[in-house]
Amino acid sequence: MTPSHPALGTLRETLRPYGDVRRRNASAWLPPVGRLRRNMRRYDDTDEVDMVVIGCGAGGATLTQRLAHAGWHVVCLEAGPFWDPDTDWVSDEAGSHHLYWNEPRVVGGDHPVPLGANNSGRGVGGSMVHFAGYTPRLHPSDFHTKSLDGVGADWPITYDDLKPYYTRIERELPVAGQYWPWGDPHPHPHGPHPVGGNGQVMLDGCAALGIEARVGPVAITSGRFGNRPHCVYRGFCLQGCKVDAKASPLITHVPDAITHGAEIRDGSMATYIETEGGRRATGVHYVRGGRPRFQRARAVAVAGYSIETPRLLLNSAIANDHDQVGRYVMVQGAPQTAGRFADEIRMYKAPPPEVSTEAFYETDPGRPYQRGFAVQTVSPLPITWAEHVTAQGHWGTDLRERMRDYVHWAVLGSLCEFLPQPDNRVTLSPDESDRNGMPVARFDHSRCANDDQLMAASQQVMEDILRAAGATELMTIERYAHLVGGCRMAATPHDGVVDADLRVFGYDNLFITDGSVLPTQGSANPALTIMALADRAADRLTRGEVPRP
Amino acid sequence: MIPARTARTARLAAEAKATRKRPKRIADRAHTWDPATAGVVLARLGPRPPLGYFSPTEEAAARPLLAHLLATWHDEADIPVLSFIDERLASGEGDGWRHAGLPEDGPAWRRSLAALDADASLRHGRTFAELGHGEQHRLLRHIQDLGSHDWYGMPAARVWSLWTRYACAAYYSHPHSWDETGYGGPAYPQGYLRLGRGTREPWEAPR
Ligand SMILES: Cc1cc2nc3c(=O)[nH]c(=O)nc-3n(C[C@H](O)[C@H](O)[C@H](O)COP(=O)(O)OP(=O)(O)OC[C@H]3O[C@@H](n4cnc5c(N)ncnc54)[C@H](O)[C@@H]3O)c2cc1C
Ligand code: SF4
Repeated sequence: MTPSHPALGTLRETLRPYGDVRRRNASAWLPPVGRLRRNMRRYDDTDEVDMVVIGCGAGGATLTQRLAHAGWHVVCLEAGPFWDPDTDWVSDEAGSHHLYWNEPRVVGGDHPVPLGANNSGRGVGGSMVHFAGYTPRLHPSDFHTKSLDGVGADWPITYDDLKPYYTRIERELPVAGQYWPWGDPHPHPHGPHPVGGNGQVMLDGCAALGIEARVGPVAITSGRFGNRPHCVYRGFCLQGCKVDAKASPLITHVPDAITHGAEIRDGSMATYIETEGGRRATGVHYVRGGRPRFQRARAVAVAGYSIETPRLLLNSAIANDHDQVGRYVMVQGAPQTAGRFADEIRMYKAPPPEVSTEAFYETDPGRPYQRGFAVQTVSPLPITWAEHVTAQGHWGTDLRERMRDYVHWAVLGSLCEFLPQPDNRVTLSPDESDRNGMPVARFDHSRCANDDQLMAASQQVMEDILRAAGATELMTIERYAHLVGGCRMAATPHDGVVDADLRVFGYDNLFITDGSVLPTQGSANPALTIMALADRAADRLTRGEVPRP
Repeated sequence: MIPARTARTARLAAEAKATRKRPKRIADRAHTWDPATAGVVLARLGPRPPLGYFSPTEEAAARPLLAHLLATWHDEADIPVLSFIDERLASGEGDGWRHAGLPEDGPAWRRSLAALDADASLRHGRTFAELGHGEQHRLLRHIQDLGSHDWYGMPAARVWSLWTRYACAAYYSHPHSWDETGYGGPAYPQGYLRLGRGTREPWEAPR
């Protein structure tokens, strides 16, 4: 579909029957996952299953579903619990602490990155259980920033290699939003949601300045999808969607995986990957209920995300011949700018992800920096908003007074494409272990000059948008969002840890299928890309394009 | 021209809306929340267990510290901030990260409270709790102004952010604080129906 026919493209996409989606992944049409789980197949530790997947998040759950669907015997080890959204999740900020990865980790470097609630989930569904829900694609340029702009890295695949998988996953989540004019222009399977006060502020401000902005793209049903209902605009997307309107693998891929015989083994923390002869993985040591266990397997896929995946490989002392494991971990610079309005905005209503612009995404030769940033609505709830206010130095009466004004503020956040750097890395802490005796991960992070320039430029744009929408006062804080990299995909083992099929260099049967394989990150939120990469790897494996281990 | 009947209907609707009973507090809407959420939120209004983490000396320093950070001298009893923080630290429930060179949150709290007393006695020969209101305030301002400089072996800014992070998470988790901020609170299964600039649900008070 060419960009000149957005209406036709949208029409086609929204009118197409669901048959192929349902045949590929029937999750949305199946009974509730809690019920499916009661009849879930169980394997013995001594069964040599076709694949053990470590981590049931965006990448791990997608891979598990695809392989099980193709008839493979799969066990997915997940460190956290198998959630029951009805009883385990609440519409409350402080009461949602258990959704995050809260085990000890150490952060360092010149610009240390807070972890936990900010970027790391735990449990079946992974970080997507409490992700905001934005699901943009990367741009075609993201796959060769080194050749194009002289920064970052070139991927061993192109956008066109991933495009069919983007489309498939978008239909399975499904993604709602307006026709997307940036990158490779494309329609979305569900129509855009109505916007709340914060979204309206962003649309108003952008319109006044002539900046293109669009509603979406979010992995939130707009209308019914199978058995999943429409969003009720309760605004707790970051606390887990009790409604089942927002996508997470727990409802988008796990149900179909279970009906095809996969076992999702919760409470199972992988600690060591067993290998033989330095070429083959033979199984995974893990701890369940305090007891050490070992699952035999013909192949192993690691999907614990950018901190835990490098940690597990480093602890297993594998895949690191070229000192690449744990390097090039990236976060996006995510400054947040708030504006005060005379109107009541009440940003806690509606999903926090509402409106985005990618008008500043690509390298602009007229600017002193390379690459760019996206701007999106964020809408913090009171506790997170209090962090924003205290970060300005307010406390005491000053803090309370500003907090009293909560309903009058709107908040935008940007995502700046920070560049991959070898020393932004995960290492094992030499003198500290967790309760399983596994060394704690340490993540060091420092910014480069280009990163600083992007932060400043995006803040300027957010301030302009808010002012144009009528803001009378502004407050900005520095933040970081998302994690990717740490075991990047590359053309050769000297430059990365996995090849274009996500197979670890030098191994026949060891894969990494999560966010840690991204060589660069663009200014797009990463979950859709992670799922599409896992889908592609699974597709190539199940079709035999990569030899079956 | 608006037809008379329409105008009358509009007037009646407006009157009905104005007189519709607004709950005095967000917590009064708990019957509209799902049971899991109501359970978690209403527990914050219930009786508090005795402190299990802070020692009496630490408690003595932490009380005025929190009262200053949150300006709760007059309404301290209303939201049991210290008890919430104590419960969190006693449970060992961390945030999933700590800065290199700083201990875990619990020990960091202990160290910072001891440092607060040490600094107070260095300057005034008394504990932090024994200082006058103005003296306490000035000492805290001084610590805040140190920024990334060292304060008793810890970067002052990190201590400041530890204190404010825990204080705000405790205070703004309490439903009474939501009456103060105008936040609408949990909304499942009901959802929010009136979206957009300048709109509010019938039960939300104008601010
Ligand atoms: C607050 C927040 C907001 C976000 N907003 C967005 C957004 O709007 N859009 C977007 O695209 N992305 C967003 N993200 C990021 C997105 O959720 C992640 O990028 C994505 O989920 C990562 O996928 P993954 O498969 O790499 O890891 P995850 O989804 O994190 O899954 C990893 C899983 O592995 C498990 N695990 C780890 N180690 C082990 C082990 N040793 N043994 C067993 N299990 C293990 C973990 O418990 C976890 O469940 C957000 C994240 C957060 C936290
Ligand atoms: S706003 Fe919608 S998508 Fe978000 S948590 Fe509520 S119902 Fe789910």
